[in-house]
Order: sequence, then C-alpha cells, then structure tokens
Amino acid sequence: MKTHIEFTHSPIVPPRMEIGAKEIGAQVEFLGIVRELEDVQAIAGLHYEAHEPMARSTIEKIFSELAVLYPCEEVRLIHRLDFVPVGETALYIRVRSRHRRSALRMTEAAIDQIKADAPIWKLT
Amino acid sequence: MQINILAFAQTRIELGFSELTVEVSPTETPRAVLRRIAPDFSLDKSIRVAVNREYSDWDKPMGEAFELALIPPVSGG
Repeated sequence: MKTHIEFTHSPIVPPRMEIGAKEIGAQVEFLGIVRELEDVQAIAGLHYEAHEPMARSTIEKIFSELAVLYPCEEVRLIHRLDFVPVGETALYIRVRSRHRRSALRMTEAAIDQIKADAPIWKLT
Repeated sequence: MQINILAFAQTRIELGFSELTVEVSPTETPRAVLRRIAPDFSLDKSIRVAVNREYSDWDKPMGEAFELALIPPVSGG
C-alpha cells in the first residue's frame, strides 16, 4: 500500500483526482472541517500543533496495521497545523482500494485511531 | 547523557517550555526526570509519555534515549 503523509501550514488543497488506474474500484475522501462552535462557544478557528515526526510514524503504523484488515492500494493524509479558520479543512484523507468496503472501513478506523493516538492537539 | 524534553499543548503552557535539554542517567525513569526538573508539576494520569517518539511507560528506565515527550490527551483531526 502506498502511504503519503503530509503536514502543512497552508490551506489544504485536495490532491487532483487520479483517474485511469484499472485496479481501483473505490475512492473515499474525508475532510475534517473546523466548526464554528467549540463546547458551545463561538470561535474564529482552532490552533493545531503536533509532534510532527512522532505523528508521522504513529499514523504510518496505524495505516499499516489497518491495511491487514482492510487492504487498500493507497492512502493519503494531509493535516494542517497552526491556525485553521472556521469552515476550512484541518484534516484530509483519501483512500483508494479495489473494493468499496475496504476503503470505507479503512477511512473510519484510521480517523478513530488517529484521533486517539497521533500526537496532534487543537487549542482554542 | 543529554536528552531533549518536549512539551506540547497544555503541558507546554503549564511547564513554560516547549523544549529543554537536560542531563540524565540511562537508569532514570521519565517520571524521575520530570520530578527533578519540575517538582511542582502535577503529572495527571491522562498525560502519556513518549520516549524516542514511541509511547512508553513513565516508570520504565529510559536507557540510551535522545528524546522524552509529554503527550497530553490528543485531539487531532
């Protein structure tokens, strides 16, 4: 499985749709967007910080372990850091696989585990 | 040996540093090092420790480590 992990301090631009791969039957994209309300308080955005090298290795391990259960061809993750205004994307994940079930389950399970273990924090 | 201690999010604010280099012994545990450099810091159970960028145990000697990171509850995504 190809794995691309990126941290950026700029607005996330979803990578261009790749077409033409004959073995890809499903592509799932997830965008985590900053909401206006955080604990019922209106905010302008969130500040994200990360232990980048550890976050990268933790996320790589999560994808690699999940790939045993949900075989996929490619995963791409972009996490934005520093200030992310309301309405903008903080997390982008794209999963491509032969079959839809693997891509859907990989996406959901990866998000759950990243939120539990990847050393990334949001501060209001 | 010297190690870098990294603090993030709430722990960075409470400790007042994001990075600190300290002299430690390989037999010292992360808990002992933290008590030594920040005796007043309250080590909440929700704070995990990472040694050399992998989750570890507060009471496990660090060996030849280069980095100790305090990991308060994470909230990425």
